[in-house]
Amino acid sequence: MVDKIKVKNLSCYYNKKCVLESLDINIEQNKILSIMGPANSGKTTFLRTLNRMNDFNVNYLRKGEVYLDGYSIFCMNMENLRKRVGMLFAMPIPLPMSIYENIIYAPKCLNIILSKSEQNIIVEQALRDASLWDEVKDRLNSSAMKISGGQQQRLCIARILAVNPEIILFDEPCSGLDPISTAKVEESMIELKRKYTIVLVTNNVKQASRVSDKTAFFLMGKLVEINKTDELFVSPKKKQTEDYITGRFG
Amino acid sequence: MKKNKDVIIETAIFMCGMLSIIFVISIFIFLFKEAISFFWDYNFIKFLIGKNWYPNSNKPLFGILPTIIGSFLVTFGACVVAVPIAVMSALYISEIAPKGVRNILKSLVELMAAIPSVVIGFIGIRTVVPFVKFFFNIPTGLTAFTGSIMLACMIMPTIITISEDAIHSVPWEYKEGAFALGATKWQTVRRIVLKEARPGIIAAVMLGIGRLVGETMAVMMITGNSANIPDSIFDPVRTMTATIASEMGEVVRDSAHYKALFAIGLVLFVITFIVNFIADLFLRKK
Ligand SMILES: Nc1ncnc2c1ncn2[C@@H]1O[C@H](COP(=O)(O)OP(=O)(O)O)[C@@H](O)[C@H]1O
Ligand SMILES: [Mg+2]
Repeated sequence: MVDKIKVKNLSCYYNKKCVLESLDINIEQNKILSIMGPANSGKTTFLRTLNRMNDFNVNYLRKGEVYLDGYSIFCMNMENLRKRVGMLFAMPIPLPMSIYENIIYAPKCLNIILSKSEQNIIVEQALRDASLWDEVKDRLNSSAMKISGGQQQRLCIARILAVNPEIILFDEPCSGLDPISTAKVEESMIELKRKYTIVLVTNNVKQASRVSDKTAFFLMGKLVEINKTDELFVSPKKKQTEDYITGRFG
Repeated sequence: MKKNKDVIIETAIFMCGMLSIIFVISIFIFLFKEAISFFWDYNFIKFLIGKNWYPNSNKPLFGILPTIIGSFLVTFGACVVAVPIAVMSALYISEIAPKGVRNILKSLVELMAAIPSVVIGFIGIRTVVPFVKFFFNIPTGLTAFTGSIMLACMIMPTIITISEDAIHSVPWEYKEGAFALGATKWQTVRRIVLKEARPGIIAAVMLGIGRLVGETMAVMMITGNSANIPDSIFDPVRTMTATIASEMGEVVRDSAHYKALFAIGLVLFVITFIVNFIADLFLRKK
């Protein structure tokens, strides 16, 4: 097992208030790690730390280290890091342009000069990997705002794939979706782990058990337990974990 | 009781709305009436493309081409100066400046918008006019170029304020989405923020142009007010508005000259109307 990301003694603060406390987690390559936990337990903060999206927030402070392939992410160029570590938000937010442009936006933005045919290949490949190709291949030039929520979310996945990241962070990607769309997004996630390392934050216990290899349970800024998904759900070691997965709180 | 009040307020608002429409239409009719009686005696095409404006000679000529070119030159020059600076200022204010600086800048810009154009003219005469004369070594500093610079100062606040609004209203989520894909700040500004804010920025520029075309005092004071076709932007020019303003006081009522000035007014009205209409189209598109 190769550890893609190593988190060492990470603590995060907003306005000096601690929201994540001395966290140690290893994230294995080509696996899905899900993070579950009730609202406000610091899951989003954790993800946003991994690709440094929180660097924009002046109230945010961090201690500890995160290593990607052995190198500290806080010493890396921020844009390069984000190309390697893509992030998908809870609300699908397509950019206000066509489906095609949404996907080609990032490669173009990153000043990779591409011929039209190369662009077509990237767009098709990204949409196929996100299991969206068949649904939109006839209307690539229509506005991305007009497709359904589930399709938008998969479009956002495709958009990330077009930059060819190594890790994809999903922040409650299905919280606004109906069960059928959810199933489709989960399906594409399982497809994706062959090529990518995935961290999935979810407030849906069943989703964690369905798709992930490893599961971590966060509670009030602390990592309560992390284990192989089958083991954690069958025989949780901590009382709090058991209460949470059996639905006694949260 | 409440119902009555609602009805009264609604009617009042409706009346105000109707009033403004009636005003615009009456202005148009008024201008049109005077102008049309001018065109009975004087060929419209000759009026528009005539090179000479000799309203007081024995055989008067009413060609407004020099003043159309004058208006165009000054307006165009002012845009070239004002638009890039204004858009970049707007970007700085809404995207880069720290919060304290932003608030100060915003109020300063709004204050700038309140400077009357006569005062701009004064400042121009004392500063830019001698500077241009000296720097380019030309006989007079009262040129289209000078006018452009001063007018640019005049419309910049308008463009900055409206573009800033447009830029500021681009949702943070779009920017975050771009950042998450590894875009730099500049790439995000260029590819997302400017693209999204473009209709608003264009509308801001069009409103600025509308104001430029109609501007009178400052241009009269600093463009030299000479009704000849200029060879370059460093020649004195006269604009349509300046023609009306400087001659209306001396003209004999109901003479051909008097009506000719109204005809210029009509041309101006049509131009500003078109410009504002285009601005509106862009704002609507948003
Ligand atoms: N931008 C922010 N500024 C201040 N506090 C925040 C911010 N984002 C989150 N928090 C606080 O940090 C804690 C953890 O939030 P979050 O990471 O969003 O949890 P989760 O995603 O598990 O719901 C919460 O108490 C929340 O109020
Ligand atoms: Mg969250």
